[in-house]
Amino acid sequence: MLDDMSPLFDRLTSLFRSTPRLAPAELQAAFRGHYKDFRALLTANNNALELMAEMEQALTAGQPFGMAFVRGNCTALSVNIYKMIHHLTRLADGRYGELDQPFRAITRQLEQVIASRSVNAEGVAILPMDEVDASMVDQVGEKMANLGEVRNRIGLRTPDGFVITAAASRHFIEANDLQVEINRRLKGLDINNLEELYTVSAGIQSLISNAPLPAELEEAIIAQHRQLDLAPETELLVALRSSALGEDSANVSFAGQYRTQLNVSREFVTQAYKEIVAGKYKSQAIVYRQQRGFRHQDVHMCVGCLRMVDAAISGVLYSRAPDDPRSPFVIILAAPGLASTVVDGSGATEQFRVSRIQPHPILHKEAAAEQSQSLSKSQAAELATVGVRLEEHFGTPQDIEWSIDRAGLLYILQSRPLVHSASGEAQTTITPGAPANDLPPPLLGGGVCASQGVACGPVFTVRSSLDLLRFPKGAVLVIETPYPDWASLLNRAVAVVSETGQSAAHLATVAREFGIPAIFGMHQALTTLANNSLITVDATAGKVYEGRVEPLLALARPRPNLMAGSPVYKILTQALAHITPLNLTDPASPFFRPDGCKTLHDLTRFCHEKAVVEMFTFGERYGFDDKAAKQLVVENAPAQWWVIDLDDGFTQDFDPESRYVHLTHITSVPMQAIWQGMMAFPWAGPPPVSLGGLGSIIFQSTRNPSLDPAVRSALTAKNYFLISKNFCNLSVRLGYHFALAEANLGEFLTENYVSFQFKGGAADEGRRLLRIRLISEILAEFGFRVEQKVDAMTARIEKKPTPYLLERLRVLGYLLIHTRQIDMVMADEGMASNYREKIMADLHTLMDTPTEG
Amino acid sequence: MTQPLNILLIDDEIDFVETTGKRLARRGYSAKTALTCAEGLTIIATGWPEVVVLDVMLPDRDGMDCLREIKGKWPALPVIMLTGHASMEAGLHGLECGASDYCLKPIDLETLVEKIAIAHRESRSSRA
Repeated sequence: MLDDMSPLFDRLTSLFRSTPRLAPAELQAAFRGHYKDFRALLTANNNALELMAEMEQALTAGQPFGMAFVRGNCTALSVNIYKMIHHLTRLADGRYGELDQPFRAITRQLEQVIASRSVNAEGVAILPMDEVDASMVDQVGEKMANLGEVRNRIGLRTPDGFVITAAASRHFIEANDLQVEINRRLKGLDINNLEELYTVSAGIQSLISNAPLPAELEEAIIAQHRQLDLAPETELLVALRSSALGEDSANVSFAGQYRTQLNVSREFVTQAYKEIVAGKYKSQAIVYRQQRGFRHQDVHMCVGCLRMVDAAISGVLYSRAPDDPRSPFVIILAAPGLASTVVDGSGATEQFRVSRIQPHPILHKEAAAEQSQSLSKSQAAELATVGVRLEEHFGTPQDIEWSIDRAGLLYILQSRPLVHSASGEAQTTITPGAPANDLPPPLLGGGVCASQGVACGPVFTVRSSLDLLRFPKGAVLVIETPYPDWASLLNRAVAVVSETGQSAAHLATVAREFGIPAIFGMHQALTTLANNSLITVDATAGKVYEGRVEPLLALARPRPNLMAGSPVYKILTQALAHITPLNLTDPASPFFRPDGCKTLHDLTRFCHEKAVVEMFTFGERYGFDDKAAKQLVVENAPAQWWVIDLDDGFTQDFDPESRYVHLTHITSVPMQAIWQGMMAFPWAGPPPVSLGGLGSIIFQSTRNPSLDPAVRSALTAKNYFLISKNFCNLSVRLGYHFALAEANLGEFLTENYVSFQFKGGAADEGRRLLRIRLISEILAEFGFRVEQKVDAMTARIEKKPTPYLLERLRVLGYLLIHTRQIDMVMADEGMASNYREKIMADLHTLMDTPTEG
Repeated sequence: MTQPLNILLIDDEIDFVETTGKRLARRGYSAKTALTCAEGLTIIATGWPEVVVLDVMLPDRDGMDCLREIKGKWPALPVIMLTGHASMEAGLHGLECGASDYCLKPIDLETLVEKIAIAHRESRSSRA
């Protein structure tokens, strides 16, 4: 196919400057070829825009994602944009080759971002504990670094031993060429498929523990162990503890993810080492890293080998109460024997609260069921001193493991930041329903949950843009309608209550992204809720209560974004900087050029715009009457409507020589839908021009050079439909508005979309904002993804079935023609809700099925 | 509504190839599988496949090399590249060498079916 066409394309290109008159059959064939490229470009555009939206949403959805997601999406994106450029170049008979340069530049930058080097561990294989401190965390991992700090900087007693470093474990893996195989097994692993997870995890672990240690490493371990073993008559038993890089930092705790091996005798030390390194791929560790956006390759296993303490009594020490960072006491848990029994929760434990202040009296004690050994008062006091000391040194409350040996000597085994329960493991927001009899009767009920959660704050009703500016931080936003631009308040609001609206509305999406509870459809909210009164909003149950309802608030936990701050999250954020920002917004601007494309989004915008222009001007350029515009015959409609057939938009019996076309000759399904929306209600004439408004309009007209002179006479404005059976692109200038509607409804969901651009002219900026807000809000109600920039907006829906999209096209048809109704909003802001209601009522009659809400 | 297209899957991952082949068959396509590039080329030479789905990592040959040979001998035959490991560079390179698309595993079957149909449609000569 491609080869047949190229001689024809060559001819067309060479004839470009003159006005070629080729045979209609040749032109038809050329045009068909163009249309195929056009359609392929639109599909690639559709894919690209959807991918970009998915990547942006990943940042705020709080769902885990990994490097595979980032890399995969970047790859798919670049593939689709390559295709757009390729098809545009063919459409444009070879022009736009200079797009290659910005495309290569941007993709190269993207590649650098996603290939960013993983954390590298270098250096010596073994370090004795005497030489370890906090600064060596990259070599020994946090656990051992902290322990070295305790031993060497604070001077407390810790077991003798050494650390087998990150460099050593890396060397071990590399020497056996294991990483490739490990990566292969992890590729495509669905962590939700437990069986697959366990199988892959077990396989990788056994791969590692069965691999031979490099000879030098093995010798070094044995030699260092021998140095520990100074009294060979008693068997030296050691504990091997994992210590990974990235573990134990304040917000991320890999506690319990890896292995510890106790009482390891000499002959088993190297095997135990390998098994601990293998423990990096325990199933819960794989899941844990994936959920928090850590790349497996960034985690390096270090292993501490420490002499076992001959423990009499051991346990755990918290330098503050876990739920109170300011508690005046430390908490001690103790049991006879090893600390592990306490940590695992398997031993009979006694609990103490000991004052942080000298002489550290015991404030509270809970004895264990049976007690062979009990912590003495002086031991408790010693522990409290240690707890305070360690907290001071590390600057944050500590979770400490300790052991007292039979000689009565206290050893510190581990110290790490204490995870406070408020910011610890993420909970989902509410366990359904506090018991009903604990709660007061609600002020209001029956609302719909637009965003889950519970919050409390003073009411602040917002009715106009003036109120916007006065909205206090920490208040509950109470509104009549969830207009998209209330979204700017959501980082100051604790909750949202709206009288109308559905959970699909844009504002609901933003509330969910911010984790702010929101109730929509709460009737009489404005009349019932008095400004400044304190209320508790239980969005999950759709109820509002007077005052502060503690039982509800206690249930609600903020949903922390697990991913934020992780390496993968940062990489995605950096990647998006080259992808989503749109610099090319105005096709009429002198910067709307290939070298003005700084991001992938710019490239899609440029290619799409130019592609439409190419299709639009084909008829003119080649003197192709068949593809020249035909005027649509229509009665009593505003303006002139012209139609260009791109492929099969006209019926077979239509005479191509005719200058006019009737609706009955139009096969285009999307065009018919738009037209239905346009004609469903009588057109009420051009927008009203009040005396005040007239001056504003004239001011705009003389000031704004981009205002087409033709616009001044709305009645003679020309509007163009480019159509095929499945496709329609409509550009409209009517009543100082400029709008562009485009849709493809094919046999494949991949290709389906409806998009809409709108920019309102005339009037001052304040009024233009009101108008844009109304349109944005209406479209969001109908499921469009809306982006508003000052007085212009774009809206899009992709990959939905045809009937759904046809309903949306009718909505667009209505909005395009009923500019007068829309502009009435500008004339009388107080009546805005009335006009909005009328419009929404009209629009709902255009739906086939009743919409929700 | 799927036409009964003839699809050749060239991939050495036996699980993937068998499962996908069966699922394509259930959708009304005719599917054949080849575990190596050489096997794939033999089947293509018979003229049977209308669309090829080609994995980037093959045991006997580099996937890109295989792609180049296919497009060199049968330029009109659409080839969709499939890979388990995303790489922007490889993706663009594949397209430059004439692949119709470059997709990542795991891939949703619906998506694959549509891509196959679209690739086929785009490669056909314009209908009258």
